[in-house]
Amino acid sequence: MSTPLQVYEPFRAGLPPLRKYWKSLWSRRTFIAEYSRSELREQHFDSVFGQLWLILNPLLLSAVYFLLIVIIRGSSDSTRYAHLTATLFLFYLVSNSLTGGVKSITAGQRLILNTAFPRIMLPISAVVISIIKFLPTLAVFLVIRAFLGLPFDWQMLWAIPVLLISVLLALGLAITISCINVYFRDIANFLPYMTRTLLYLSPILYEASDLKPKLKTLELFNPLFPILDSWSRALVHGQTPHLSHLLIAFGWALGIFLIGTYFFLSREREFAVRL
Amino acid sequence: MPSVSNPHKTNEIAVSVRDLGLIYTTAIDRRPTLKARLKAFGRGGKQTRVIHALDHVNLDVEYGHVLGIIGTNGAGKSSLMRVMAGIVPPTQGRVEVFGSVSTLLALGVGFNPSMSGRDNVYLGGLAAGMSREEIDAHFEEIAQFSELGEAIDAPMRTYSSGMYARLAFSVAATVRPDILIVDEALSTGDAKFKEKSLNRIKELRSDDRALILVSHAMATLLDVCNDIAWIHKGKLIMRGEPNIVINAYREFLQVGKSAAIDEDV
Repeated sequence: MSTPLQVYEPFRAGLPPLRKYWKSLWSRRTFIAEYSRSELREQHFDSVFGQLWLILNPLLLSAVYFLLIVIIRGSSDSTRYAHLTATLFLFYLVSNSLTGGVKSITAGQRLILNTAFPRIMLPISAVVISIIKFLPTLAVFLVIRAFLGLPFDWQMLWAIPVLLISVLLALGLAITISCINVYFRDIANFLPYMTRTLLYLSPILYEASDLKPKLKTLELFNPLFPILDSWSRALVHGQTPHLSHLLIAFGWALGIFLIGTYFFLSREREFAVRL
Repeated sequence: MPSVSNPHKTNEIAVSVRDLGLIYTTAIDRRPTLKARLKAFGRGGKQTRVIHALDHVNLDVEYGHVLGIIGTNGAGKSSLMRVMAGIVPPTQGRVEVFGSVSTLLALGVGFNPSMSGRDNVYLGGLAAGMSREEIDAHFEEIAQFSELGEAIDAPMRTYSSGMYARLAFSVAATVRPDILIVDEALSTGDAKFKEKSLNRIKELRSDDRALILVSHAMATLLDVCNDIAWIHKGKLIMRGEPNIVINAYREFLQVGKSAAIDEDV
């Protein structure tokens, strides 16, 4: 008798064999690409007006928030507007990953009940979709920046590691929240409040340096704070971000990613009976 | 992974199920919520239910055979299929699979109803581990077999349940898996398509592939199966010649050979 291709046995609590899991995930990378593409197509982002909306939507948003800043502060300048757009667009990368990721497992119910595959592909796809939506807004920002006459600088390249850290954080958050949503289906209803709170806690409508010393502790509990501050420093001001901020941001992102992934992987085998 | 030529011989073991047990907890509510959990926290109400789905099941499936699985609703048929397909891990025992498995569990394909049939076929195939080239190679045949015509590019939410079932069956049967598991999917097609799919099943059987059919349609099972297993409350009650097992099952149901059990509705 030949050796079996597949053996299914009871699993112990904890992680599945990671090497095998990774291999099976890697062999399905085309699924992630195809899924993101058809999801975007379904949301009409393959048409001219769909793509226009991808650019118009963040522009309108930044215009509304800029209006808010002008009214509250009584004055503003072009750097402030550049800061607002840069950080707002990056914030939407993370918040879109959350809103896209939260229902990724429950919406994939039919697939999960009928096919054996690494479930983590679904929240990963949600993050890929928000990255694809983010890229045109980055181009829009660079145009705005040039238009505002801010000088370009090599220090702006610091934005690349910051972006990578944000993607890691987005992955971690999407994976965690998609798993939580299997057990508490109403978490999606709380999500708008959570992202809105995160928006106000982050240096988007204000700059990190504007924060009153009394409120400085807020920084500690918000992984987006060091990320957005570094992002604005590099991309808007053309300065080197604080190394400590980069390290804290990376620590947050890696921590959330590892904990969320552990949580997800040790739970995903029972998703089929929980849906 | 599906293969087109079949390397397996008749009577070779395809799936071996040893002492299989499956116990799982599931939420009582269809939509478990934080709100409900918090409300129940004070009262100490139970939120989950333990289900003993399978209990010491031993079963071998051989190549070149069609195994029919019968049993009342909730007997554990679908659970058994899901364990064999690797979708749900067992709590006890061991399942060995000697070949590629394609599942068609209760209308499998098409997880995103707002996408077209074509997209869903590709996504389902990719998720199952096929490559894009493999799906490309099979797609024409799938579309042909399903007889959906232009509807293949329409969103799947516009499909009737029959169209759904036809597409699902076409995918599962066209990729020519070594082992095909069909879970109550034949009953939604019209008579013509049903006959066509039964022919395909017989074709696969003569091609020395292994088939597992879960169905309540006794006439269909008598027609295509050469082996029947009867499961009741998670236990394998009887296994053997289709005639004998089905008669015993009918007797058990105390309905005899009535029309209700003979015809799939």
